Amino acid sequence: MEDQLVLYGRTFTTRLLLGTARYESPRQLTDAISAADPALVTVSLRRQLSSSKDSGQSFWNLVREARRTILPNTAGCLSAREAVKTACMARELFQTNLIKLEVIGDEVNLQPDPFGLVEAANELVKLGFQVLPYCTEDWVLCRRLMDAGCEVLMPWAAPIGTGQGPRNARALRELRQRAPQIPLIIDAGIGLPSHACQVMEWGFDGVLLNTAVSRATHPVRMARAFANAVRAGRSAFLAGPMIVQQAATPSTPEIGRPFASDSSRLGIKSVPPTISTSSTGGGISNEEIRNEPTEPN
Amino acid sequence: MFVIVNGQPCPFPEPMTLAALLVLLSPPAPFAVAHNEEFVPRGTYEMCCISTGDRIDIVHPTAGG
Repeated sequence: MEDQLVLYGRTFTTRLLLGTARYESPRQLTDAISAADPALVTVSLRRQLSSSKDSGQSFWNLVREARRTILPNTAGCLSAREAVKTACMARELFQTNLIKLEVIGDEVNLQPDPFGLVEAANELVKLGFQVLPYCTEDWVLCRRLMDAGCEVLMPWAAPIGTGQGPRNARALRELRQRAPQIPLIIDAGIGLPSHACQVMEWGFDGVLLNTAVSRATHPVRMARAFANAVRAGRSAFLAGPMIVQQAATPSTPEIGRPFASDSSRLGIKSVPPTISTSSTGGGISNEEIRNEPTEPN
Repeated sequence: MFVIVNGQPCPFPEPMTLAALLVLLSPPAPFAVAHNEEFVPRGTYEMCCISTGDRIDIVHPTAGG
């Protein structure tokens, strides 16, 4: 069965969400979307600048032609009230109940305001929105957001636009363990494909990127790199990584090693062969030898 | 009367509804509107009366992360 991302009942075959800001040209944005193959693209809403003749139509046409699910945001909102009003305008403008909820609590590091987030999420869910809150990895905050009716959470890796990668790995992984059922998408602070791959290996459900792609030297190439990294990380998670061991274990079989007596001079003890408990003779079966790891070093 | 449209004072005749004001401004679609910082659903423009000094915000799609 195909591995799918499910957000509010909508299914997606890819796990990357892409922001549309800070590209050098519309063409570059279009090409980056093609290369990243995102499940959703994020957009925003702003007043028309008096100097602008376009009013966002060309941008909107470009995004629509990309045929991706639209995720409007409430970027820049500093209170729950402001975020709710912005979400209502976004719903009418973009014709979707999906909303990436941002309530910023600190203008220096753009950290989410946990109190404003919960207040806004409660209100928006009552108004029929499908809320994807940009939050921190704080477990109690995440629980409150789930209690409010959020069916997806988007904890940060690091402050927006920093590219630092996951700053609090332990808390992020604990969050994943505490909330195994809800889709968790890492939003903000990712800088490298290895960061994206890492969080996907930890079992996060997706990654939302913008600056890491649009501010790369070659954004389209980076978009493709991120798409590959997210796929690799997801595949690794599904494959089930090995358990980290404290001691070295030879991967090449010890049995039949030539010059075995030399090991004593190096202080190496031979690994005792596995004794089959089912074997009446107490010897080693061929099956057990075949089951020894034989991958090349 | 003067109405603050997207932060700029603009002269309009009185009385004025939001629907009439938008006909005069003819903002390119798509857009959404707030009146005195409150969202006004599209279907209620006719019922929204505008007074001097009121603030109108008209927003359009833009890039975002």
